[in-house]
Amino acid sequence: MHSSSQRVLRAVAAWLVVAIFAFPIWYWFTIAFRVEREIFELPPLIFDFTFSGKSFEEVFGISFGGDSGTRGPLAGGGNFYMLPRLWDSIVIAVCSTALAVSVATLASYALSRMRFAGQHHFVFWVLSTRMMPPVAVAIPMFFIYKQFGLLDTYTGVILVHALMNLPLAVLLLKSFFDDIPTEIDEAALIDGASRWLIFRRIVMPMALGGIAATAVLCFIFSWTEFLFVLTLTQTGLKTVPVVSSTFVTSTGTAWGKMAALGVGAMVPAFIFILLVQKNLVRGLTLGSLKQ
Amino acid sequence: MTSSAAASGRRSFAAPRALLSDHPLPWLAPLIAMLVVFALFPFFYNIWLSFHEFAPRQRALEWVGTANWTQLFADSRLWGALGITLLYTGICLAVQLVLGLAIALLLDSDDPGFGFLRGVLTLTLVIPPAITGMMFLLLQDAQFGVFTYALKSLGLLGGQSILGNPSTALLGVMVADIWQWTPFMVLIFLAGLRAMPTEPFESAVIDGASGWQIFRRLTLPMLSKVIAIAVLIRGIDLFRAFDYVYVMTSGGPGTSTYTLSLYAWQQTFSFINWGYGATISLFSLLVILVVANVFVVLTKLRW
Repeated sequence: MHSSSQRVLRAVAAWLVVAIFAFPIWYWFTIAFRVEREIFELPPLIFDFTFSGKSFEEVFGISFGGDSGTRGPLAGGGNFYMLPRLWDSIVIAVCSTALAVSVATLASYALSRMRFAGQHHFVFWVLSTRMMPPVAVAIPMFFIYKQFGLLDTYTGVILVHALMNLPLAVLLLKSFFDDIPTEIDEAALIDGASRWLIFRRIVMPMALGGIAATAVLCFIFSWTEFLFVLTLTQTGLKTVPVVSSTFVTSTGTAWGKMAALGVGAMVPAFIFILLVQKNLVRGLTLGSLKQ
Repeated sequence: MTSSAAASGRRSFAAPRALLSDHPLPWLAPLIAMLVVFALFPFFYNIWLSFHEFAPRQRALEWVGTANWTQLFADSRLWGALGITLLYTGICLAVQLVLGLAIALLLDSDDPGFGFLRGVLTLTLVIPPAITGMMFLLLQDAQFGVFTYALKSLGLLGGQSILGNPSTALLGVMVADIWQWTPFMVLIFLAGLRAMPTEPFESAVIDGASGWQIFRRLTLPMLSKVIAIAVLIRGIDLFRAFDYVYVMTSGGPGTSTYTLSLYAWQQTFSFINWGYGATISLFSLLVILVVANVFVVLTKLRW
């Protein structure tokens, strides 16, 4: 129904738009892999920069071979070897995603299948817990964590990240469950199946795409969260967003290292997305078809 | 109860006893428990805190009555911050919605290469906003920034930098937010578009409807619930905008990029006014609650 010239035009427009969005990432990537003095070149170098793995090696302690020169600890320390920080980020994002998604899946199934009085207001209340400015949650959490020794621990950050993602997860998952016809549940109920059996064996497998999509978003939000980690941790653990600020010093910003950290941080998150990518777009339907 | 339920559920599909019934409470219990501890407690703590203030000399919190609340209404910086927050939220939301919808329509194709393009677009989402802020700080650097250089060579930018000028600083921060979160909208809208049945569209084409008519009469109404939820979620997050302003401008120059979240942060940590910081947070919560409620009623969202 479309002429071929229209298709070509559309493809050109699509590539152009995506290229515009990809440009800052490309530029950031080149900053991470160029010789330090070329960062401040005018006019800015976009394609013809001189490759150097130095920043990346210093940040992650990984060698690309070649003549990197300095090996071993650098003076000042602290702002290199980011692999443990990457690990902190991964542990926290994976665990908090698992927690948020399992709690939200149970709740969303009930919200989708068992109507109760005041349900609309209950869901709005759940959503409203995301409306507090992050500082207002961080301060009370700081004191309660101090009391229970959760400060500076994985458990503490995982809990608060899971909480932060619950409203979004409940809202999304409820929409996915709403998309699955209730006739299936009802037929199984008449056959004597329990709610748990229906949930575990019928509805959950059908909503797997939606669950995967929710997991991706939870992962991304935990992966990128800044303020809670900043306030609830001290020295024991730090995630990538927080640790990036160590590259901003009084003598200037270490742009190359900052960019290297940013590029390195994209890799695990993108791998996670690729793992669930097939389900992602298909899953994120938000109940568009019902009603 | 629930942990043992989860454990036994993993071993076999033996049903946790509490989840056999038709009563929603056991299903909701873990959610409610978490929200009570991690959401209701901070809420009441903030209310308590808003009637206290940190007294530096005693190094303790002191009861100050409603002083924080009366200060709130006389604080011109607060109202300025509210205005900036609303401006920021409104413009970013509008741009992300329109741009997100347009790009989603553009990328909703099965032609070769489009899957790859959709994948590349999600890349912006995995970069932590704090690092995105640094990225756009470099791009908009007064001397070496690519954006600055491009705008200057086009003659669109005079001697000042984007972030150093009070009239353009907010715009500079918004660019980062819009760049990062438009793909989020695209992703959600694409999912909605892809899930639509094809029959109505085919019959509309046979009936000779124009592209605009199809969009206006078919696509938009069918996508309305998705749009409403996406706007709600994004709007809430935008209203709490913190990371970008914190990293890129710290509110400056002057107070031109002061958002409510940043103002609450600064009162709490820079001025050690814990009570007043909590009061600002509660005020911010109140505003977004009212707006979100009106939005839910207007869009007829029912859960």
